[in-house]
Amino acid sequence: MSVKLTVNGLEYPLNTEKTLLENLEAQAIKMEFHCRTGHCGACRCQLISGQVNYRVSPLAYCRQNEVLTCCSISKKDIHITI
Amino acid sequence: MAYTTFSLIANDAMKEPMFFGNPVNVARYDQQRFEVFEKLIEKQLSFFWRPEEIDVSRDRIDFMNLPDHEQHIFISNLKYQTLLDSIQGRSPNIALLPIVSLPELETWIETWSFSETIHSRSYTHILRNLFTDPDEIFADIVTNEEIQKRASDIAGYYDALIHATQFFQLHGLSQTKVDYINLHGDKEALSLRTLKKKLYLCLCSINALEAIRFYVSFACSFAFAERDLLEGNAKIIKLIARDEGLHLTSTQQILNLWADGKDDPEMAEIAIECFGEGREIFLQAAEQEKEWAKYLFKDGSMIGLNEQILCQYVEYITNQRMQAIGYEAPFAVKNNPIPWINHWLVSDNVQVAPQEAEISSYLVGQINSKVDSDDLSTFEL
Repeated sequence: MSVKLTVNGLEYPLNTEKTLLENLEAQAIKMEFHCRTGHCGACRCQLISGQVNYRVSPLAYCRQNEVLTCCSISKKDIHITI
Repeated sequence: MAYTTFSLIANDAMKEPMFFGNPVNVARYDQQRFEVFEKLIEKQLSFFWRPEEIDVSRDRIDFMNLPDHEQHIFISNLKYQTLLDSIQGRSPNIALLPIVSLPELETWIETWSFSETIHSRSYTHILRNLFTDPDEIFADIVTNEEIQKRASDIAGYYDALIHATQFFQLHGLSQTKVDYINLHGDKEALSLRTLKKKLYLCLCSINALEAIRFYVSFACSFAFAERDLLEGNAKIIKLIARDEGLHLTSTQQILNLWADGKDDPEMAEIAIECFGEGREIFLQAAEQEKEWAKYLFKDGSMIGLNEQILCQYVEYITNQRMQAIGYEAPFAVKNNPIPWINHWLVSDNVQVAPQEAEISSYLVGQINSKVDSDDLSTFEL
């Protein structure tokens, strides 16, 4: 069963081994990033539905409906807006 | 309330607000009200570097070969960076340490400001290499009108907070015997709430400095390195940018913790009350950075960067930073006009070809503690 990443309403296949940012880059979706290690917060985006696991615990401030794409992975379908 | 270096009040630091609670006493880190500051300290310490590690000797030849207008861009940018770090190397300590109430935050402020002093030392390292006598460059930072304009604006919020805090710690808040005369020479009624307002606006101004002003200057430094010029300088700025990522996060954390009501409830009220004033600080910083871009490129552009592109970047980065602390994006620009800058801002970007530039990617005082359970799979007990 393939897992989906929905970005701004458009569906893309999701590689569950890679971070959300790497997934976005693989689909040539422009996404801001700086540090890529979860401390600067530049890659913050809105989480509409789904869940993420962090590879490293993020230092940047994250509200409940926000995720840092550079250091998070998702195992299931996920919907974000950027 | 006078400042004391070791308060004998047996308070519970887990119940203190970040600022204006009881003074800090025991420097203990076994418990943290806000764990993120402890993590920031660890991260900042693991980033430790010294400017002398980076060889900048090739930069002198590159610099001498630059046309006059590009030398002006490079040196003016360096002067501005020197100013920013001169302020940041001391001000968080002087302004925030006398009023801080959490041990982990106190230590973070010290660690943060200390790392800014390393940045200041690295500008001297760069300038010493470019000029036999860098005195003229340093002397101009205080007299240059364009730099002065932004210096007074950045220092203003710090100075207002420091001045009011000093009065409060010397005379208390009643003002029955002595009137508080503010920095503009006007009589002002000082209360804990007005002090907290000054603190809030000061934090907005610090965040604008760390998150917008610095990044505009980084764009100029990296634009030279994109053309394989002044690479030693870019290596140093890359290390500085890595530190600044932490500093901007810490100020965003403080502002967001206040706004979301997770710290002092009065600060949550002030965050709403001063929302408009805070917004003005960011817009003003963006406007000043655009004026600065005009000054930088007054005699001509450089390949890859001109006044228009830099101004678009100012707007873009201002949008990003304001959204991160709960403001609407004020500018229409949607895409990063200089996407190449992000590759310079990656914190663990490993330099793989040492012959192309001086390496700065080796670990200093760090260990890689990641152990995969598969690594132990052949072990038997």
